[in-house]
Amino acid sequence: MKRITIGNALSVPVFAAVAALCIAPLAILFAYSFFSVSFVAIIKDPTFKNYARIAGSSTYRWLIFKAFLSGAGIAAITAIIGYPVAWFIAKRVTIYKSALLTLLLVPLYTGDLVRIFAWRVLLGAEGVLNSLLMWIGLVDKPIDALLFSPLATHIVLAYNYLPFMVIGLWLAFEALDDRLLEAAQDLGAGSRSAFVRVTLPLTMPGLIAGALMVFVMVVGDYLTPQLVGGASGITIISAINDLFGTAFDWPLGSAIAWTMLAILALFFALAAIVISRSTLGKAMAGGEA
Amino acid sequence: MAFHINRRDLLKTVAAGAALGALSPINRAMAATEVSWMTWENLAKPEYLQAFLDANAGIDIAKTFIGTDDEQFAKLRAGGADSVDLITPGLDKVEYYVESDLLQPIDFDKVTNGKLLYDAFKSSPLGKKDGKTYGIPFYWGINPVVYRADLMDEEPDWSVFFEGDKYKGKLAMRDYALEGIMIAAMYLGIPREEMFVMDDKQLAEIKKALMAQKKLLRTYWNSISDLTNLFASGEVVCAFSWVPPYYDLKARGLDMGMAKPKQGVIGWCDTLAVPAGVEGEKLDAVFKLVNYLLGPDYGKELAVGGPYAQSTSSARDLISDEQKDKIFISDLSIMDSFVWKQNPPRYNEWVALWNEVKAS
Repeated sequence: MKRITIGNALSVPVFAAVAALCIAPLAILFAYSFFSVSFVAIIKDPTFKNYARIAGSSTYRWLIFKAFLSGAGIAAITAIIGYPVAWFIAKRVTIYKSALLTLLLVPLYTGDLVRIFAWRVLLGAEGVLNSLLMWIGLVDKPIDALLFSPLATHIVLAYNYLPFMVIGLWLAFEALDDRLLEAAQDLGAGSRSAFVRVTLPLTMPGLIAGALMVFVMVVGDYLTPQLVGGASGITIISAINDLFGTAFDWPLGSAIAWTMLAILALFFALAAIVISRSTLGKAMAGGEA
Repeated sequence: MAFHINRRDLLKTVAAGAALGALSPINRAMAATEVSWMTWENLAKPEYLQAFLDANAGIDIAKTFIGTDDEQFAKLRAGGADSVDLITPGLDKVEYYVESDLLQPIDFDKVTNGKLLYDAFKSSPLGKKDGKTYGIPFYWGINPVVYRADLMDEEPDWSVFFEGDKYKGKLAMRDYALEGIMIAAMYLGIPREEMFVMDDKQLAEIKKALMAQKKLLRTYWNSISDLTNLFASGEVVCAFSWVPPYYDLKARGLDMGMAKPKQGVIGWCDTLAVPAGVEGEKLDAVFKLVNYLLGPDYGKELAVGGPYAQSTSSARDLISDEQKDKIFISDLSIMDSFVWKQNPPRYNEWVALWNEVKAS
């Protein structure tokens, strides 16, 4: 009993720091979302006007929807690419495992901007890919849509966030006991059935964790769409940025930010429910396998 | 080897650190009054300020650099005014600071170079309130159209961004509501006196024009170095730009052009402004620095290094004719053709419109 008391006492400062550093700014933002603005004066009479403006504006509704759609899209793409990669690293590689994992993470050390500009060199009208296509003779003038298009945004986003998906999945595959697959085969399951009924459910928590991480990061990424997305590269985050900066409409900016947070929280809640109902989730929470 | 910490050693270290920390401000206070200046990096190069520091041994300048004008306002507005003694807001933004009670008026008895301000700035109502100047014009320039002369057949004007499809997918526009909408207004021929107070019908026309523009654009640009890259790589042949890419790329051997459209050119001016809380000895030092920044030594450096023009005529006779041409001060009547940036009363709606166009 005494140990638990000490643990509680030790966790107080950590809890207080988290509360002060994370929750307080969000609370202030929440309060601001009910204020209004008149030129440079913030008027502190509570109002739902900002939320009504979001609901009434097809632009903001579309941008919010687009953010979550990109998040889900990129999560799906990285899952499809990452799943076999994670399986390969966890189950087929022995000696070079740590080397491969490091290699996977190397792009993350270079910083987003460098990676984005590298992609520009690859995808540009006079870039590597277009030059190659023209040299082979597949096209006679550069494909403009390779850069400054939604296609470019999706390529770069998938590239940037793939490692986060692979790491989540790799952990799940490492925890997967191969004897279970052998048992499934012994009991007459075909490889497809074994995958659907054993492998997939057991790696599902890793998949969900990876997907959530990618999803959240894509929703919050405005630099990539801005720098390679071209004229259609606007995101809800850059709109919030405009509202806080140039328009000095902190209340509306706060309201949009909180709308996004609420929707994200909903996704997290759903994911938490799914994970807690899965076998591995039960094992993690309940301490029994 | 284990690393032991005992109480006595820890206390010694802490005490030593505290002593060091306590000493340094005393040193500084004895040596100099420190003026903290929030500004753009390219305005505070050491060689620009050397003459001032040599002449004023008792004054030190601490620089904080800003990335955007809005960021500067947000910092001051969020309570950062106490830590800074001189700021560099755009002439069109001074109103924001004045209405937020963040500034004090400029004392022209101490800033004697203020007498040499060009008439365009003396007569402008911008930066002033109730007859007092809160943001004193500092330096100015234009934002022209810059283009690859080797890849375009004719000198462009604003219409290239709105009609025809000869350069479709090879144009860029700055991602900035104020200037984007001003340009559309100039293209549509909306008179200057109406430009910043456009009604709903005019704004609807603007939106239509901007929608047409979006289809012609390769991208909207956010940083000038990014735009310079886009010019260099040939992704963009013509853009509403700042002046620097023109000189930078010319110096690297590209055949660049700079157009000042006949429908009007956007003029900009940054000011120097003093936060309300600065007082006493420090305030004197700040005004000394302001006076220097508007004086001949600084103006000469800025005209070559920028190249930008000061808002006063202090250095005008010290600059070569070629350099004068570069910074548009050979014939000052050119200033009459500028449309100076102002803050529109319905700016929130301008920003919303701009975002609607981009999201369409």
